[in-house]
Amino acid sequence: MAIPSVALIHNTIKPMKIYLGEFEELVLLTIAALGKEAYGVSIQKDIEERCNRTISIGALHSTITRLEEKGFLKSWVGGATKERGGRSKRFYEITNAGNRAVAETKSLRDELWSLSKLKLAIK
Amino acid sequence: MSHHRPPKLPRRIFEGLAGKANIDDLIGDLDELFYLHLQTMSPRKAKALYWKQVLSLSLSYAVRKRKRDARYGGYSASSFSIDMMRNYLKVALRNLYQYKYFSILNAFGLAIGMSVSLLLISIYSYVGTYDNFHQHKKNIYTVISHQQDGVEELDYATAPQALAEKIKTEYSGAQEVLRITKGYDNQVVTDKENIPVKAYYVEPEFFSVFSFEMVQGIASALAEPNNIILTQSTAMKLFNSHDVIGNIITFEGGVTMQVAGLMKDHPMNSHLNFEMLISHSSIPHSQILTEDRWTNYPKQYVYILLRETTSSERLQQYLNKVALQTYAQSPVKVTFALQPLKEIATGGDLLQAIGIKWEMSGFLMFAVFAALILLPACFNYTNISIARALRRAKEIGLRKTMGGAKSQIFLQFITETVIITLLSLLGSLLIFVLIRSEFQRMMVAGSSLDLSINWQMLTMFTAFAVVTGLIAGIFPALHFARLTPIQALKSKLNTRGASFSFRKILTVFQFALSFGFILALVVFGRQYQYSMNFNFGFEKKNTLDVELQDVDPSLFKNAYAGLTSVQSLSMSSGLLGVNTSRTWVYTTEEDSIEAAQLFVDSNYIRNFGLTLLAGNNFPDDGTQRERYIIVNEEFLKAYKISQPREALGRIFTIDGQDLEVIGVLKNFHYEPLMYPIGKFFFRMKKGEFIYANLRVASHDTYRLFTQLEDVWKQLPTQKKFVARYFEDELNEAYQTYQVLLKIVAFLGLLAITISLLGMLGMVVYTTENKTKEVSVRKVLGASAANISLLLSKDYLKMMGWAMLFAIPLTAFLLDLLLTEIQYYRVQLSVWDILLSSFILLTLGVVTITSQTYKTATRNPAEMLRME
Repeated sequence: MAIPSVALIHNTIKPMKIYLGEFEELVLLTIAALGKEAYGVSIQKDIEERCNRTISIGALHSTITRLEEKGFLKSWVGGATKERGGRSKRFYEITNAGNRAVAETKSLRDELWSLSKLKLAIK
Repeated sequence: MSHHRPPKLPRRIFEGLAGKANIDDLIGDLDELFYLHLQTMSPRKAKALYWKQVLSLSLSYAVRKRKRDARYGGYSASSFSIDMMRNYLKVALRNLYQYKYFSILNAFGLAIGMSVSLLLISIYSYVGTYDNFHQHKKNIYTVISHQQDGVEELDYATAPQALAEKIKTEYSGAQEVLRITKGYDNQVVTDKENIPVKAYYVEPEFFSVFSFEMVQGIASALAEPNNIILTQSTAMKLFNSHDVIGNIITFEGGVTMQVAGLMKDHPMNSHLNFEMLISHSSIPHSQILTEDRWTNYPKQYVYILLRETTSSERLQQYLNKVALQTYAQSPVKVTFALQPLKEIATGGDLLQAIGIKWEMSGFLMFAVFAALILLPACFNYTNISIARALRRAKEIGLRKTMGGAKSQIFLQFITETVIITLLSLLGSLLIFVLIRSEFQRMMVAGSSLDLSINWQMLTMFTAFAVVTGLIAGIFPALHFARLTPIQALKSKLNTRGASFSFRKILTVFQFALSFGFILALVVFGRQYQYSMNFNFGFEKKNTLDVELQDVDPSLFKNAYAGLTSVQSLSMSSGLLGVNTSRTWVYTTEEDSIEAAQLFVDSNYIRNFGLTLLAGNNFPDDGTQRERYIIVNEEFLKAYKISQPREALGRIFTIDGQDLEVIGVLKNFHYEPLMYPIGKFFFRMKKGEFIYANLRVASHDTYRLFTQLEDVWKQLPTQKKFVARYFEDELNEAYQTYQVLLKIVAFLGLLAITISLLGMLGMVVYTTENKTKEVSVRKVLGASAANISLLLSKDYLKMMGWAMLFAIPLTAFLLDLLLTEIQYYRVQLSVWDILLSSFILLTLGVVTITSQTYKTATRNPAEMLRME
C-alpha cells in the first residue's frame, strides 16, 4: 500500500515537494532521535517533555499510522514487559523515504531562513 | 508497585470495538501509561485518563485503519467484487440443484407463505394511487364535520350546503366551492326492469375542480335543472349505445330528465364513485331541507379548490370562526375540518362517506394474517437450513481457512436464500393470480380495485421477495458465518442446545396456529348450519314475498287468492327475521318503552304458524280504524305481566292512539339471530302493507313465477313483478358466514400446508441422519413399528404441546368472536375440539409416517452398506 506514493515521487519529472505537517515532522524526528527505543509511550513522553505540551495518544497513533502508510516509517512487534501486563510493543523506525522527507523539509526551511530578513538570534 | 490495575471495562469495550484488528500494542501502551500516571496522580484520576485515552484511540485513524486491514484474510482480494458475486451465485445454484428435495420443499412453502402478502401489497399499493389523477389534487380539500349533540359525538364526511354557500360569498381564497349531494335511491325505469344507479347531484364546477373527461356535451349543462351527464358504461347499460345525447331518462316516481352529456368512466381509483351526474338544481323536494340546514345535512358534501396562494390553515381558521358564530346559540355543536383529497379514501373512519373508503384498521387486520402465514414459512426455511448445517460445514470450514471473512460467508448464504425466495415468487404469483378475483368478490369494495399485474407492482413484489429472503436467511447466514473453521472441518457442530429449544417453540407455535384455524373452521361451519336450520318460531318454508309496490292490497288479494298454487296469503309491512321498524309505546302509569312493530293483516298469524298463548287473532274485517295489537311474551315481561291472560284488554298508547291487547304470542325471532328477542307487537292497519306473503305449494319455481307474473300483468300497475323466496332472503342475510368460512378455510389451508411442509423437511432430515442408528437397531431386532415410533416421537410430542396451548386460547377467542357476530349461537363443544385434534393429528401422522415408515422398513444391510 505504501509503495506507490514513494514511487510516484521518483517517477514524476518534477517531483512535488513532500509536505510534512508540523506534528508529522515532530513525530518523525522524535522517532529518529529515539533510535531503537521508539514505541508509543516513549514517543509520547519524549514529545511531551521536549515540547512541554500534552498530546493525545489517539492523535499520536493516527499520525504514526499515516506516516507508516506513506512509507516514512516501518514497524515491528516485540519486547513485552511486565509493566505492560505482558503485552507487546510496536517499535517504529524511520525509513529512507522518511529520511529524505525530513531532509527535504529541512532544506526547504534552510532555504527560506537564508532568504528571510529575520534575525536568528533570540532575545 | 501499586496494587491498582487498569480498569477492565474500557479495555473490553475497546477490544470489542476493534474486532479482529490487532490492538495488543495499543493496549500495552495504555497500560504502561496508566502505571506511569499512577506515580504522579491519584488512581481515580489515572482511571479517568485511561477512559479518555480509550475513547481517543477508538475514534482514531490508527484503529480504523487496522480494522479495515484486518477485515479480510490474507488471500482475499478486496471487500466486494463482481467475480465473487458470480461465484456466490454459482455455488448457490449448484447447492439448490444438489439438494433438490429440500429446495423444492422450501420454495413451495415460501411461495404459499408469500401469496397472502402479495395480495396485501397489491391492494395497499393500489389504494395508494387513489385520486392521484386529478390535476389540482394538491389544492382540493373536502370539508368534514364533527357533531356534538349532548353526549353523542360523531364524525361525518358530510358538511352543510349552507356552509358552501357562505364560503362562496364570504371567502375569497377559494378558487371554486363545489356542492355535491348524493342521490338516495335513484332508479331508472326501463321497459324490462328498474335499474338502480349511483347518482351525484353536482354543479358545473365539478369538472373544473376534478379532472374527469367529457366526451360529448358541455359541463355547463349541469347549471340547468333536469340535465344529466352519463358515464359511457352507464350509457351502454341503459341505452346500449354511446349516442345518447338528448335521450330522456325516466326515474322511479315519474321524474324525467334529459341526457345532456357523456363522460368517460371515472378511473377505478377514484373515491368519487358514480354512474351519472345530475344537475344540482334538480334535487328532489324530498331531499331538500329548509329547516336545520346547519345541523342536519345528510349526504351533502362540500369540496373546495384553494387558490395556489392560499394556505389551508387560513381557510381552517375561517371555518373555525364560522362554526363558532353559527352554533353559538344551537344545542348541537358542529366543528369543521379540512381533509386533503389524497386522505379521503384512506383517512380515518367517518360516517356517510361519499364513495369508497379504505379503513386502515382493515389493512392492519389483513397485515396480521399475512404475517401469520408468511413468518411460519420463513421460519421453516430458517429451521431446515440450520438443521442441515452439518452438510455444509466442510464447505464453510474450507472457505474460512482460505481466508473467507464472516461477511463473505454471510453474503453467500443470503444470496442462496434470496435466490430461493425469488424462485418462490414465481409460484406465489401463480397463487396470487388464482385467488385474486375470488378475493375481490368477497371484499366490500373489491370492484373498485384493479389488481392486474404491472411493472410497478412487479418491482414491489420483487423487493418484497428480497426482504423475505433476508428475513428467512439472516439466522442461518449468521449461524454459518459464526462457525469456527476447526469445528466446521471436524464436523463437530453443536446443532442442538439453545437454538434447538427455540426451534421447538416455534414448531409448536406453528401447529397451534394450524389447530386454531381448523377449530375455527369446524365451529364456523357448525354455526352456519345452525343459523340456516334455526327454528325461528314461524314457518319459513315455501314463503314467497311479493312486493306490492303501488298495487292495492285488496286487489292483490282478490287476484291471487284464487290460484291453486297459492295455499294462503297475508300482508305485512316488513319481513320477519330480516327487518322490522321500531316505535314508542306509552301507558298512563309507566315509562315509555321502545318496541319493534310490524303491520300485518288478519291472515298473517295463521299464515306463518305463530302460536297464540292467549286471546284472539285480529278480527277478519280490517276496514275500520286501528284498535288492537297482539304482543309477544317479552312485551309482557317489560310490563311485569306474568300471565298472558292478564294482558288481554290492557290499553297502550302507540303513535297517539289507544290500542287494546287482544292476543299474546309465543316468542319468535322477528329479527336476525344477531339480536336477542325483544319487545314486539303486531298492528293491523291498511296502507302500511309493503309485502304480500304467499305460501306456495309448487316446487316448479319457473312455472310458478310465470303464473304469478301473468296475474300481476292484469293488475292496474306499470311496475314489474318483484318476488323472492324468504329462505333466499335469509341466506343472503347470513352471507357473512359464507365469506368468513371461505377466508378461514383458505388461510387454514395455507397455515396447515406450511406447518406440514416444515415438519416434512425436519423429518426427512432426521431420518436421513439416523440411518445408521436405525439399521443397527433393526439388526438387533427392533420392529418397524418400534422404529417408526422412535423417529416420530419428538414430533408427536410437539403436536401434543401445540394442541395443549391452542385449545384454551382458540376456544376463548372463538367464544368472543361468536358472541360478537350473533346473539343466538352454538356453544363450543368437546366434540369440536376432538374433531379438530383428530384432523390435525391425522395430517401430522400421515406426514411423519410417510417418511419414517420408509426408513423403518428398509433392509438394514442395504442401508449399512451405503454408509
